Amino acid sequence: MATIIDVNEEKALEVKDFEFQYSGADETSIKKLTMPIAKNSITALIGPSGCGKTTLLRSFNRMHDLYPGNKYSGEIIFKDRNILTKNEDLINLRIQIGMIFQKPTAFPMSIFDNVAYGMRLQGIKNRTELQDRVEKALKDAAIFKEVKDRLKQDANGLSGGQQQRLCIARAIAVEPEVLLFDEPTSALDPISTSGIEELVVELREKVSIIIVTHNMQQAARVSDYTGFMYLGELIELGRTEELFVTPKEKLTEEYITGKFG
Amino acid sequence: MTHTQKRIITNRIVMLLSTLSAIAGIGFLFWILSILVMNGVDALSWDIFTQEGAPPGYEESGLKHALIGQLMIVGVATIFGVPIGILAGTYLSEYAGKSKLGETIRDISDIMMSAPSIVIGAFVYAIVVAPMGHFSGWAGSIALTIIMIPIILRTTDDMLHLVSSTLREAAYALGAPKYKVITQVVYRGAKTGILTGVLLGVARVAGETAPLLFTSFNDNFLNTDMREPMASLTVTMYNYATSPYEDWQKLGWAAAFILSMFILSLNILGRLFLLKKKGN
Repeated sequence: MATIIDVNEEKALEVKDFEFQYSGADETSIKKLTMPIAKNSITALIGPSGCGKTTLLRSFNRMHDLYPGNKYSGEIIFKDRNILTKNEDLINLRIQIGMIFQKPTAFPMSIFDNVAYGMRLQGIKNRTELQDRVEKALKDAAIFKEVKDRLKQDANGLSGGQQQRLCIARAIAVEPEVLLFDEPTSALDPISTSGIEELVVELREKVSIIIVTHNMQQAARVSDYTGFMYLGELIELGRTEELFVTPKEKLTEEYITGKFG
Repeated sequence: MTHTQKRIITNRIVMLLSTLSAIAGIGFLFWILSILVMNGVDALSWDIFTQEGAPPGYEESGLKHALIGQLMIVGVATIFGVPIGILAGTYLSEYAGKSKLGETIRDISDIMMSAPSIVIGAFVYAIVVAPMGHFSGWAGSIALTIIMIPIILRTTDDMLHLVSSTLREAAYALGAPKYKVITQVVYRGAKTGILTGVLLGVARVAGETAPLLFTSFNDNFLNTDMREPMASLTVTMYNYATSPYEDWQKLGWAAAFILSMFILSLNILGRLFLLKKKGN
């Protein structure tokens, strides 16, 4: 049996009896999963490879819909509606629920155009507004000082850590309500990693954050809530300090003490 | 003789043979180029670019008609072939994927690429020239377009595949609709590759003779009406080079030289783009 604590805060998202099966797979990758996600806080998803944490994360912005044949059931409630229905407007959903990927995904265009990309998609053309919001996003992503003199240059000239912060700037420029981080530091060096971690903690003021990580220390450092997943199920969800110090489930304890994984 | 000596001698023989073969292979290229340059440069003069074709023995004869005809036929083929090829390649990579229809189109375009170009000339002769009752520049352009499309289609397909799927996902994650993901992100990522494919496609059809013999045929004088037969460098070169008149043969060499330089520079340009892409 799973131990899932109640979240006292307002909820940003609520997963109810969610099941997911990849196209062509024999088994479901996520089994009857129920999980609340607290608003304006950081929820970390941990668990061994293949436990379904990234699959769950990519369900929140319906990324799986890009590839045909995937099946899901159950509900994910966001702003009083189930976002898994057929008539959900995916473009609108993805504007409100942003995503940062494992590898930096700077587009082959200038630094400015990268950050402005999401806003331009929404039809914002006013140059002063674009300029102001790009600058603000870059400042919020703690990269403005490094790039302010070369906004017109190709974004691929930046280092990996800078590119990842640029991607965060691009995501927060459209002012989403939720940000999904898929192992955002696994391709980065330790210094860039701690930079991104600090940034994630600061962003909590404005957005609700879900972060998938392989690194338990990272989950312990940054998150308010931690969910431990194993074989497609949520084994335990608790306040981070409690889950790591006094886990309720035996499996959780074994995983965080390094007995498997 | 010890084993070691034997091994060293065998190694030397193999190295010698393979080096000689490599030199022989590339030697022919330089041989061809040097003959072309020697005869071609000798035949070049200002008249080549300003005068039209003339009967043998006339002082004032040139290749203006063939140069302009060539540019028009290849230009029109490029205008039609490039967008069709790029859009078809986009369909394969972004919409069809590994579906049956997609794979069938890929197979057919591979077959088209290796089809003898004279067959395509005969095909256009049957469906365009015969019903019209005469040769025309349009027919030549259509034949070259048909040859160009599979080349551009395949390189576009390949180059779009090289753009990582995470980059596409990142654009979708910002709320981009599919057509914007393709035109604003994927095309940008594959820009140099697609351009290379276009250059190589144009270079390939610019050197075709057989399909033009059946379609645009020839005209010894300047004609800019695509509805009428038109001169091209390749067919002009064929006619002049096989003629018994020395001054015509000289013009043939000039045509061969100009054409080769054009195609060579397109190829080099294409390769430079590829190098630049790798450099990134």
